[in-house]
Amino acid sequence: MMAFPPELLAMQLVTGLALGAVYVLLAIGLSLIFGMLTVVNFAHGAFFMVGAYMGVFLYGLTGNFLVSLVVVPLAVGGIGLVVERFLVRPLYGRGIDYPLLLTFGLSYVFIEVVRILFGLNGLPFSPPEMLQGAVDIGIGYFPLYRLFLIAATAVVVLALWLFIERTAFGLVIRAGARDPEIVRVLGIDVSKIWLVVFGIGTGIAGLSGVLAAPLQGVAPEMGVPILAEAFVVTVVGGMGSLVGAVIAGLLVGVVVAMTSLFAPEMAKVSIFALMALVLLVRPRGLMGRAGLMG
Amino acid sequence: MTAASDVILATEGVGKNFGGFQALRDVSVEFRRGKLTAIIGPNGAGKSTYFNVLSGAFPPSTGRILFEGRDLSRARPHSFARAGIAKSFQITNVFPELTAQENVRVAIQAVHRRFELFRHRRAFPELYDEADRLLASVGLGDRRLRRARELAHGEQRSLEVAMALACRPKLLLLDEPTAGMSPEETREMMGLIERLAAERTVILVEHKMKLVMGLCQRLIVLHHGELLAEGTPDDIRANDEVRRVYLGQGAH
Amino acid sequence: MTVLDPPQSTARRWLGHVARHRVAATLGFLVLFPLIVPYEALAANILVLGLYALGFNLLFGYTGLLSFGHAAFLGSGAYGCGIALVHFGVGWFGAILIGTALATLVAAVIGFLAIRTRGIYFAMVTLALSMCVYYAFYQMEPLTGGENGLRGVNLQTIGVFGFQLSFLNPTVKYYVLLAFVGVAIWLFSRLLASPFGAVLEAVRENENRARACGYDVAATKLVAFVISGAFCGLAGALNALHLSIVPIETLHYTTSGQVVMMALLGGMGTFFGPFVGAATFLLLQDVLSVLTQHWQLYVGIVFILFVLFFPRGIWGSLLDRFGPR
Repeated sequence: MMAFPPELLAMQLVTGLALGAVYVLLAIGLSLIFGMLTVVNFAHGAFFMVGAYMGVFLYGLTGNFLVSLVVVPLAVGGIGLVVERFLVRPLYGRGIDYPLLLTFGLSYVFIEVVRILFGLNGLPFSPPEMLQGAVDIGIGYFPLYRLFLIAATAVVVLALWLFIERTAFGLVIRAGARDPEIVRVLGIDVSKIWLVVFGIGTGIAGLSGVLAAPLQGVAPEMGVPILAEAFVVTVVGGMGSLVGAVIAGLLVGVVVAMTSLFAPEMAKVSIFALMALVLLVRPRGLMGRAGLMG
Repeated sequence: MTAASDVILATEGVGKNFGGFQALRDVSVEFRRGKLTAIIGPNGAGKSTYFNVLSGAFPPSTGRILFEGRDLSRARPHSFARAGIAKSFQITNVFPELTAQENVRVAIQAVHRRFELFRHRRAFPELYDEADRLLASVGLGDRRLRRARELAHGEQRSLEVAMALACRPKLLLLDEPTAGMSPEETREMMGLIERLAAERTVILVEHKMKLVMGLCQRLIVLHHGELLAEGTPDDIRANDEVRRVYLGQGAH
Repeated sequence: MTVLDPPQSTARRWLGHVARHRVAATLGFLVLFPLIVPYEALAANILVLGLYALGFNLLFGYTGLLSFGHAAFLGSGAYGCGIALVHFGVGWFGAILIGTALATLVAAVIGFLAIRTRGIYFAMVTLALSMCVYYAFYQMEPLTGGENGLRGVNLQTIGVFGFQLSFLNPTVKYYVLLAFVGVAIWLFSRLLASPFGAVLEAVRENENRARACGYDVAATKLVAFVISGAFCGLAGALNALHLSIVPIETLHYTTSGQVVMMALLGGMGTFFGPFVGAATFLLLQDVLSVLTQHWQLYVGIVFILFVLFFPRGIWGSLLDRFGPR
């Protein structure tokens, strides 16, 4: 512990928050879909990967990262709408495992389609020029792009929070997450709500793909490890809880950053140890509500 | 005051809270051994919540449950069954893909604690005999090799009762046993309950007050999650508050 | 039972016989199997991964728990066996036992953690924990070979009752593996027919009802999980001997996904389903991978079609159509 100067620790903390930002976005999408539809979206990592590829492709086409940031969530969310409407919807009422199995199969299809379009190997990608370089944040120079990542995540989370807390549609989402019966009693077509929520959740997954692309480039398999990590975040935070997803996402990011500083060989395993600890102490997650899982 | 051994099940100041919503408040009741007691009340009175607390499905938020003097407030659900409390559910709750016989046999097996991993289940024929006997007693003798999901609704309810009896319960809990039944099925079920109550303690939850008035020895009336009245059918009939609550609901 | 049944079609009667003598039928088929498969290595693949799917099916098909982490058991069985052989010079039989024991242990730990969560969490937690096992083995390079996998699991000859059999001969190898798989199938069948098997079915059919009957559902699930892990661990140990190498991919998420696909394609909760599923999957892979490098696209599409239209799988759908009732 003594060997590391406090500035380095502080830097690593900020690095962890930037890493956590991606987890937060992924977990929010997963959690939202689960909270409303009780569907565990095993294709979430694949939607993330598709978003990343789309972002890289559009950037190459237009040279404007903003275009990627706006168009990709819409496009990936659009794919999500089609998936929900035509593939997931026929499975409601058949038990919770079937939508999960379907999205699992779908992730194979997404990965192979991307391989066909963009090749078996990944593509390198670096932050757009405007966001390159580093800025002094008081404790040292920090990559500008990572700061942007944290800020962008904060904006998305805030927007989503306002949407859910302050709009009529958000009210329905909150009621529906508690009990789908209530929504039905209110005379609202639940299937429309589910469709939109699936679209929003997958759209956010696509956006997090775009945001993550400059960190490490893109590859067809990039969604697999991140799916497992997003699951860890969701379990730690508590399924169906927005606040839980934010706290757990940042926590997991920081844990990864810190272990890669102190014990790099443990960095991959550490978050699973964190999850195991949470399962032992508080199986429903930090912010999870009792009874939600039925 | 009744003698302690007369009381089979008691709740002391039981409350249940669902994320801020108080579904039950300070319910203290003593259930007598050997009696048929009905829990009644209008919609939303907390009957089902109370039933779920009594049967161990939800732990109470406050208060205690005592079964034969033993505190079960923090026990896990399956311990209630092992202690001798059997229940049938409001919504039909059987093992749909298994035969009626296997449904009951599995329930019996839980009592016998036969968990051997590498002996054949057929090696215990006495369990099959007992299952067949129980099925016959609820009028399902000739349906025993049908899958549960192929049985009619009323038959499934009877199957549930047979499964509850398989636990050789000291106390039988029935949640709206006639829900969704035709008038004829309802009559048969009431007859079955009467026969069952002759041999053991039965507590049932019922929405339709008329149905239980002639059948029960004691009634518990819940309203807005609280105990409103308790007594014999005659006491309850004469109770002004109960009448007001039920009339206010538009008389059942 | 037969007295009351209406006259049966030939197919139904035939399937009835197969179901009654399921162990003999499976073994009889597997004995003849290499004769109808293009090459013996493929037959051995199907045999070993069929056992893997069988173990998985105990949990998914018979107990109703969907695990996405079974690669951890196939993998730790394979590594346990391989490491015992390569690094500690244990005999082949002991190595198989060590691999199976290691997988059982890993299953107990993962199961203990995963059972604490409810319903839908299960798939997520098992997936995450199996990834943890993957990274752990990946890191232990001196022992496991890390990224390159564990090499040198070479078995030239094995001594059985004083006979020296050449493990390099694919036919001999197949039948040696079959001896182990056969015993496992027999044990599996006994387990399903036992009172414990009945409890598993009860938990799958209706968890609340099983609890109301007085069964400790969590404990039942844990036991099922550990037994399932043991079968998969045996499959892993046999696979290490069969392949002479333990690739790190054995522990990967895709290996967990593969067994889910096999079980669903074959028919979950059916006795023959896992072997039918393993054969279908591996034959599909074998044929498609010659035609296109994007064979996973077609496997994914086939799987989606099965989820949507044939959730009972190949064998399950056959049983529904012609099965004994």
